[in-house]
Amino acid sequence: MTDAAIKVEDITYSYGDLQAVKGISFEVQPGEILGFLGPNGAGKSTTIKMLTGQIAPKSGLAQILGKDITLDDPDIQARIGVCFEEKNLYLSMSGKENLDFYASLYGIKDAGSVEILRRVGLADRAKDRVKTYSKGMRQRMMISRAFINSPDVLFLDEPTDGLDPVTSASIRNTIKEEAGRGAAVLLTTHDMFEADELSNRVAFLNDGVIVALDTPENLKLKYGKRSVKIRLRDGAGVREETVALDAPESGELIKAAVGSGEVLTIHTEEATLEDIFIKMTGRGLAG
Amino acid sequence: MSLTRMFKIFRKDLALGPRSPIFMWAIILPFALTFILQVAFGSLFSAKPRLAIVDQGASEITASIKQMDGIELTLLDSADEMRAGVEANDFDAGLVLSSGFDAAVKSGDKPLLDLYIGGESLASNRIILSVTTLDLVRQVEDSAPPVDVRVENFGNEGLPISVRLVPVIMMYALFIAGAFVPASSLVEEKENGTLSALLVSPVKASEVLLAKGLLGTTLAFVMAFMTLFLNDALGGQPFLLVVVVLAAAAFSSVLGVAIGAASRDSASMFTLVKGSGIFLFAPVAFYLFPEWPQWIAKLFPTYWTIDPIWQVAVLGKGFDAVWLDLLVALAIALALIPLIRLLSIRMQRKLVAE
Repeated sequence: MTDAAIKVEDITYSYGDLQAVKGISFEVQPGEILGFLGPNGAGKSTTIKMLTGQIAPKSGLAQILGKDITLDDPDIQARIGVCFEEKNLYLSMSGKENLDFYASLYGIKDAGSVEILRRVGLADRAKDRVKTYSKGMRQRMMISRAFINSPDVLFLDEPTDGLDPVTSASIRNTIKEEAGRGAAVLLTTHDMFEADELSNRVAFLNDGVIVALDTPENLKLKYGKRSVKIRLRDGAGVREETVALDAPESGELIKAAVGSGEVLTIHTEEATLEDIFIKMTGRGLAG
Repeated sequence: MSLTRMFKIFRKDLALGPRSPIFMWAIILPFALTFILQVAFGSLFSAKPRLAIVDQGASEITASIKQMDGIELTLLDSADEMRAGVEANDFDAGLVLSSGFDAAVKSGDKPLLDLYIGGESLASNRIILSVTTLDLVRQVEDSAPPVDVRVENFGNEGLPISVRLVPVIMMYALFIAGAFVPASSLVEEKENGTLSALLVSPVKASEVLLAKGLLGTTLAFVMAFMTLFLNDALGGQPFLLVVVVLAAAAFSSVLGVAIGAASRDSASMFTLVKGSGIFLFAPVAFYLFPEWPQWIAKLFPTYWTIDPIWQVAVLGKGFDAVWLDLLVALAIALALIPLIRLLSIRMQRKLVAE
């Protein structure tokens, strides 16, 4: 295994008396996407603020690319990219001017801003002021700004929040490309489908602690219900039968059910990440 | 800290300036104030009396009028040209000094002097030109006036109000450009969240604050010089003037950065500006009312930057008159730096907590 791009050991943070993060630990490898799932107030944003050097953990170890983030080292900042939940762009500047300015702060002379904007579908609006962009376009600008320095570590805070499905899909593809390039990605989201689609692993964060950390597949296998729901029509009307998959006689039971009438639909009863989260914490992700 | 990154932010702010109403206000205000105050109290529309002289000799009268600031003199070659000019109201008055005029006056011959007065000239200008001419003839004759004149002044003695208003306009130029522009620029970065975006890049908070300070200093320096130029108050020592104006511009921008760092948003910035405005502007009132006890002005920090400008640009004084002021201003500015550092830490904490 290569060295972790993000290494967190037992970090804590408090806002006055309120302990927002209560000793969490995890690692993210280069090229890996770790989905951080949790409701509002779970500690996701505080964790990102600690890992991007905006605040220092009260205790514990937080390393980015092998360096302690609390050292306030510009070399670390130069190798990370951050996409905030709030859209914080220079509205009076054009998309290209925004990217060129940020690139210059990283010492990049020719950032290829137009090419980056092309990746997120904004090349034809590169010279327009950002204030004229739609919400989706601004979000794509945020993503492209996070990529401007080809970061080794990406922090993406709700990157597709409130966007239409087409824009969301486009942004997800771009995130996958960045991970494919070798960037470690820490993705916070409320969206279970997004986390499921993008993440190599997901961490469930609740009340400042990680309650589960594994691949989506393993979590579903571990906490989900393995069954098949068959919808049938026969002389008595439409009915549903649910067959558990873990029993030795499951195959026979499915065969019997399918033969007992006209099959309308067959679905596996796989749990969603939200189902699992609710099961583990007693609260939903949107809360 | 990286000066390169600081200059990048400064350049960005300078480029965005014309897109900001407050930046544009800072540029327009000194022009507008100068115009308004000159119209109200100054001499913008009260032109000097215009006199044309055809001097066929080398009269002492012409030489004396050349030395006078209050008369606009034009020397012509022919009497016809002068008469045509007076008729066309190009001049308020005109006279021909013949080649032996001064000698004839001195010998007591009482030569004829034709004074041509334009019909459309102002009565005040006619009187000024007539009285001045006769007085100068008497000087050539070397004779005393037939009466002793006792002059009694009413109102304030000293500099005219139009000159005493220069510190007021100067203070506006310095405060709006030097303090308000960097403060609002910093607050705007906070409100739009762009400051948070900068602080997760290699940029440090100190680089952002320095860039804002440099923006204020540059703009205030340019606008202060424009104000002095517009008010014809550039003094006689250009290098010293640059020093005192630069010191005042830098001082204003230190105040601006402190205000920007202390303000959470635009509303709190305006409250702070309104609250501190009287405190900052108080010293200029003492230039308007010289009969007030002048030592009170020294209790206000901005006095120590505005007074050197007054001394050098308006009164034409040298370094001896301003070095102490500059030293006090520097001490105040240095004392503000730890405060700005504390405000910067508080600002970053608040940004993260929001």
